[in-house]
Amino acid sequence: MNGAMNRKLLFIFGPITGVVMFAAVVIIATLLTNREYKEPYRAPAATVDTTPRTEGLTAEKADAEAKAKAKPYQEVEYRTFPVVGSRVAIWAVAQLHLLFAAFVLAVPIFAFIIEVIGYKTGDQRYDRLAYEFTKLLSTSFSLTATFGAFLTFMLIILYPKFTNYLMSVFSPTFLPYVLLFFFEAFFLYTYYYGWGKFHPLVHLGLGLGLNLVGTGIMLIANAWLTFMMSPRGVSDQGAVLSVWDAIYNYTWMPINVHRIIANVAFGGSVAAAYAAFKFLQATTDEERAHYDWMGYIGNFVAISAFLPLPFAGYWLAKEIYAFSQTLGLTMMGGAFSWLFIIQAVLIGNLFLAANYYLWLGMGRVEGMQPLQKFIKFLLVGIALCFAVWATPRSIIATVSEIRAMGGSAHPILGYLGVMSAKNTAVNILILTTFMSFLLYRRTGKIATVAWAKTGHATQLAIFAGAAIIVIFLGIYGYFVEATVRIGLSVPQVSSVLFAMVSITAIDIFLFRGASMTGEVRWGRMPAISQYVLIFIAVTFTWLMGLMGYVRSGLRQHWHVYGVIRDTSADAFTPTLGFATQVVSATVLMFFALIAFVFWITSLHDRPDYKGRERNRQVREHAGAGDVGLTEAS
Amino acid sequence: MKIPHTIRVGALVLAATSFYTYVGQMVPQKEVQPPQETVIRADLTTDDMVKVGREVMDNKGLCFTCHTIGKTEGPFRFPDLAGVDERAMTRVKGLSDIEYFAQTLYEPNAFIVPGFNPGMPTINKPPIGLTDQEILCVIAYLQTLGGKATVTLQTSHHYYTPAAAPGAAPGAAPAPASAQGAAPGAPPAAPAAAPGGAPTSPAAPAAGAAPVKPAAAPAGAPAPTAPTKGTR
Repeated sequence: MNGAMNRKLLFIFGPITGVVMFAAVVIIATLLTNREYKEPYRAPAATVDTTPRTEGLTAEKADAEAKAKAKPYQEVEYRTFPVVGSRVAIWAVAQLHLLFAAFVLAVPIFAFIIEVIGYKTGDQRYDRLAYEFTKLLSTSFSLTATFGAFLTFMLIILYPKFTNYLMSVFSPTFLPYVLLFFFEAFFLYTYYYGWGKFHPLVHLGLGLGLNLVGTGIMLIANAWLTFMMSPRGVSDQGAVLSVWDAIYNYTWMPINVHRIIANVAFGGSVAAAYAAFKFLQATTDEERAHYDWMGYIGNFVAISAFLPLPFAGYWLAKEIYAFSQTLGLTMMGGAFSWLFIIQAVLIGNLFLAANYYLWLGMGRVEGMQPLQKFIKFLLVGIALCFAVWATPRSIIATVSEIRAMGGSAHPILGYLGVMSAKNTAVNILILTTFMSFLLYRRTGKIATVAWAKTGHATQLAIFAGAAIIVIFLGIYGYFVEATVRIGLSVPQVSSVLFAMVSITAIDIFLFRGASMTGEVRWGRMPAISQYVLIFIAVTFTWLMGLMGYVRSGLRQHWHVYGVIRDTSADAFTPTLGFATQVVSATVLMFFALIAFVFWITSLHDRPDYKGRERNRQVREHAGAGDVGLTEAS
Repeated sequence: MKIPHTIRVGALVLAATSFYTYVGQMVPQKEVQPPQETVIRADLTTDDMVKVGREVMDNKGLCFTCHTIGKTEGPFRFPDLAGVDERAMTRVKGLSDIEYFAQTLYEPNAFIVPGFNPGMPTINKPPIGLTDQEILCVIAYLQTLGGKATVTLQTSHHYYTPAAAPGAAPGAAPAPASAQGAAPGAPPAAPAAAPGGAPTSPAAPAAGAAPVKPAAAPAGAPAPTAPTKGTR
């Protein structure tokens, strides 16, 4: 009823309202168009403008044009990126570029080594494995180049003045860089598409060329970024004195070495994650066996490279201190000191996960029981070292808690927060992981050489000796002055390295011609082991993002440390919480993109469209036949 | 219900990343702003300079990244500064406390406190780059640690002479720094001072090559630019 009334009212008032509104518009328009120009009211004190309006407007326009024509060129120092700001935008793009670049540089290194092993042993499995790794490269290479170009444009747009300065310092290096990039593309695609098409030695030559050119590209790019951190070869005002000195600055070589090792560790872990993903999707035992083996090799590469990485890190830190104590102290004792507690959590997780994977891997081998009893001791050792490494010197506490402790450092735990304890913990962690690997390696084997007992005893003595040296020096460090304490890390590291090299060397000869107690059953791994591999890859990636931040963030409010100051709105150093959020966002973007790479790569093995259609039709036909049979029966 | 592996892997990546982000929120959060330039008025009293000096040490000078005041138990990165003025008066033979402090700031590797490694940066150069006036304020504050502040903005020392030091005849070399700035009770001006006022302590840099005119000292002092491979 009410609805019907409303509709009637609408019929009546609708047209009336329309007519009234139309009339109003016409009246207003008429009034406006007929309105005469009147001089605006001016206060008596104001200057009276005697210029007629049209002439005044023309003069203003001409004046504006003349000013526009005479405007001098001014270099823009900074531009702003919308929403997230320039720094975060550059940060994310640079990090993504570096992650893909690291992958593209690392995979050819171990693909080449695996191919060499295949060539030397004649085992075709290695050749297939190397090819499987190489399949991941072509899409990754395109993404690396795209992000590289993106980064360059972003630098030019957002930081034009600083980019111009860097280009002026390093101008002689850009053409060789581009040239090497061309060679990289040539070698990479020939290496990939030429698999099995050339004589093995020619193909290996292509792989070698790919690695050499890739390393060359990395060395040049490292010169640019290390110059920003530890400039050399320029005057106080930034004028170039020597391009070679600018390249060969304090941190160039340590970063080169550190990056090569870290790239291999990272690349190995991502390749292992690919294998893990394929393992989880595998439908046949053969596929599972292949991808289990691939995951194992990828993880082996990652962990082997990861073990010496802290030593390369020590060297880099040493060179940072040698260049500038202020920079070193900002890193270890200033704004970034807590970052190393986050790093300890990451590295502790890496060690735990890597060991766990190795222990699970023992299950592949028949006759692993005798060695299983050692796992619990290794786990206790790792957990203790992890706890020591992650203990901060000063604890976040309330005022009353600080009073109760007698200072910001805990009376007992505070002693674990200093370098003596942390150096000891990390060295023991490395030794423990090495021991896990050794146990895995000898699972299912019995040494048959005549000197087997002596060999085992020697290995044990070396291991125990290294552990005792590391622990003794760690404790001794508490009783000596800083000058002596700093030097103690060298014998600690040396003893661990010596133990790793010598025990491995003995092991190789000890187990030559060993008798086997059981076979390695590739593919017989629980699914959780594959998730561990993916977790390791995520942790490595996150660690790279975090350490990339500290390396770059150390400069704080300097574009080029001590030479070119950052005067942009982003010159401040953000909180670690904010930095970790950016790192996480970048890591997620990377994994979204690497999933795309994995998908593209998996298309390689997918049957073509027509084949799949035919299979579908056959299945449908068979299904229809079944239905027909059922109906008929 | 069986969850597809792709979803599980995605959840694992998200969970691991979230966990590390969470760890990042658990540590102390501090945003470090670029150092603000302190405007030092010409009419600052010594007491004002002490306050400014402390502020400079806290912020732009980054002094407390390494130094402590009143810490009794080690480990020490660098010397604790409690009572430093008392030690400064006798640390290097021939240098008053002001001259000693100036040397540690302008030329930190000239004398290394026994038991510690060299590591102090040159404070008047980038990246820290304190001005001469800011350094005088820092010296004023350091004097209060175990002594009494005596410096003024007109105090000159081996590395710096104010443009218009009161009582200084135009063009004339200023009086020896240690005599002007010496704290009460400090040893007399270096008797063996080299011509021109260069300190002759064994730790003094390049004896004989020291600048002869204090006014030129800042320019003549070793220019600690980015070190070269051969000299570190």
